[in-house]
Amino acid sequence: MFKSRNLVLWSVVAAAFMGCGRPSDSDTTSGDVVQLTYWSSQNPQERMLATRLVDAWNLSHPNIQVTVQPLPAGQSSEEVLLAAVAAGTTPDLCSNIWPGVVSAFIRAGGVIALDSFADFDSLLQSRVPAALHDRFKAEDGHFYQLPWKSNPILMQYNVRLFKEAGFATPPRTYSEFLTAAERISKDLNADGRFDRWIGYRNIQPIWHERFFDYYSFYLGGTQGAPLFENGEVAIDTLTSNAVFAFFGELYRRNFFPKTKFQGNAFVSEQIATEFVGPWNIAWLQENAPPELDYAYAPLPVPDGTKGDVHTYGDYKNITIFSNTKYPKETWSFAKYLVSKEADLMLLELATQIPIRQNLTDDSLFTAFFLENPKLIPFADQVPLTTGVEGVPGFAELLDAIAQQFEAASVYGIRSPPEATRRAIARIRVIQEWNK
Amino acid sequence: MSWKRSKSNGSGAGLGQRIGYVMAAPYFVHLAIFFGYPLLFAMVLVFHRWDIVTPMEFVGLKNFTRLFHDDLFFRALLNTGLFLVIHIPLQIFVSLFFAELLNSKLKGRSFFRTIYFLPVVVSGVVIAILFQQLFAFETGYINSVLSALGGERIPWLVSPEWAMPTIALMATWKNVGFYIILFLVGLQNIPASMYEVAFLEGATTWQRWTRVTIPLLNPMMVTVVVLSTIGGFSLFIEPYILTGGGPLNSTLSALLYIYNQAFYFGHMGYAAALGLFFALIILIVVLLQRRFVEEDIY
Repeated sequence: MFKSRNLVLWSVVAAAFMGCGRPSDSDTTSGDVVQLTYWSSQNPQERMLATRLVDAWNLSHPNIQVTVQPLPAGQSSEEVLLAAVAAGTTPDLCSNIWPGVVSAFIRAGGVIALDSFADFDSLLQSRVPAALHDRFKAEDGHFYQLPWKSNPILMQYNVRLFKEAGFATPPRTYSEFLTAAERISKDLNADGRFDRWIGYRNIQPIWHERFFDYYSFYLGGTQGAPLFENGEVAIDTLTSNAVFAFFGELYRRNFFPKTKFQGNAFVSEQIATEFVGPWNIAWLQENAPPELDYAYAPLPVPDGTKGDVHTYGDYKNITIFSNTKYPKETWSFAKYLVSKEADLMLLELATQIPIRQNLTDDSLFTAFFLENPKLIPFADQVPLTTGVEGVPGFAELLDAIAQQFEAASVYGIRSPPEATRRAIARIRVIQEWNK
Repeated sequence: MSWKRSKSNGSGAGLGQRIGYVMAAPYFVHLAIFFGYPLLFAMVLVFHRWDIVTPMEFVGLKNFTRLFHDDLFFRALLNTGLFLVIHIPLQIFVSLFFAELLNSKLKGRSFFRTIYFLPVVVSGVVIAILFQQLFAFETGYINSVLSALGGERIPWLVSPEWAMPTIALMATWKNVGFYIILFLVGLQNIPASMYEVAFLEGATTWQRWTRVTIPLLNPMMVTVVVLSTIGGFSLFIEPYILTGGGPLNSTLSALLYIYNQAFYFGHMGYAAALGLFFALIILIVVLLQRRFVEEDIY
């Protein structure tokens, strides 16, 4: 189904761009062909997306030819990009920019302020929900990233296992989740130990793992309040304690195992929930058996929490690097990457959520969401999604929390209030060191 | 021929010398680029704050002040020491045992030599991932076997007490083939006549081993101790893949901590200061080791 739809869409995109005007052609030296280099993400779905988008663009823009390359291999895309900025070997633009790394690019003078382009503001207003605008603004008041996709973290749950345990709807609060854990975590082979668990998290004390438990749950409990305000630590201690205690209870009662699974534990039904982004849908569609019945819901929140449930979003945005010789042409291509047609392809090929307001109401996307209802909760979550905070050295500060998460939640050697207190103290020490 | 000529002819000697320099030049260029320059750069870096992308900022001795107040780094040093205490004796014992076996008239000796050497040439990352699956607490093969035999599951990688010994076991398994080869070379260099004399003097098997084999193996023992110490100090891949430094920092090695500071947190200057301090510790340990081990054995 996807393939035929994509083929049609690809043709539509190509035809649309062949037919429409070529705004940047006039900017090039007559007769010269501008060559741009575009780095995309490495995962197969996004590589396919990038290739198709670039093919369509090249067909309709003979004077601006784009070469797409997946980000060079490295420990992380951020590491590769930092090295490229330092070495001056960046491409013209990249669409896999994690907001946490942009401030370093700005300090290095490696990226262009996109609001220097006359139509940036109108594009931002028309595409991005107003509530999110400030999240993409740099400390100097300029915009260096074009918001592209948000990837909110939600709870993926096994519908059949929840129904068998007597739950028609997914748990909304910590208490409900623990009740579900009591019924779903089971010793299936009667050896005195659980073989099925309510969920699983990587317990290694690595800062970026905490985006998918502590940080997402903290945002859920505080309705999106950040950990830092004006660069100073502003952790809501009650919520932090509640998150530590919630996961502590899950590990103490063995509802979450301290292990490493062989293969995908959600597909093999060894676990009933996962906290994931929409990219997981594409993977499950390719790898899970068709009978696996799964759905998505907001993350559980502390009992008594009222209002919308916020979450963390693994934002990836587009930046134009300063070493481009053709900023106007690159900007034209960047705008093309966030066009409605390109957004639809992002949904179809990569099952990832563009940062676009009224996504589910827009007629261009209606058919897609009707055919792919699993993505609707992610699309609805976009306005309630917080990305990484702009405080300098965020990775190291989150590492301080990761250390306490391990001590208080995973191993239970520290009380939640003590863990929060120590995390705050350590963050202050690190910030003092880094001044 | 050319050597003889250079010995007997002054101009030939000059030519030979020049050719020698030319032949050695690629090595020196390599050394200058990949060792000399990074070393000098690191020496500059220790006095600076630098995150790779922004210009360096001179901070004087601040990186060293931070170092001496960084409890986690000293914890990482202690962890590395603990790893060495477990790893080096285990490495020596296991590799010497297998070297002795392979030195005997064992059937299929060549096959076993190859088998034991295989882990040495396999990527450390691959082995770490393999061990992760083997030693997983709830779902690992080893605990499944223990459980099936009626035993208790062991928290190999998820308990602060067990994690470092498990990592030492893995590191030993990976490297044992290399040290077997070294010991085997040492064993084969011991003249058979020494054993014959000992035998004629009435020495028992144990006495032949302790009075002939071990003393004559001493030079190789020094090599093994020094190499496994330096290798042990560079403990990185195993905790990086298996535990991330946990549980509760019990497997956080000095090198992993330095890596995190440099590449996760962007503190290149601080990481360089830690690296310099760590290099000094390695130097002191190796010098002490050489002194005591060599004194003991010669």
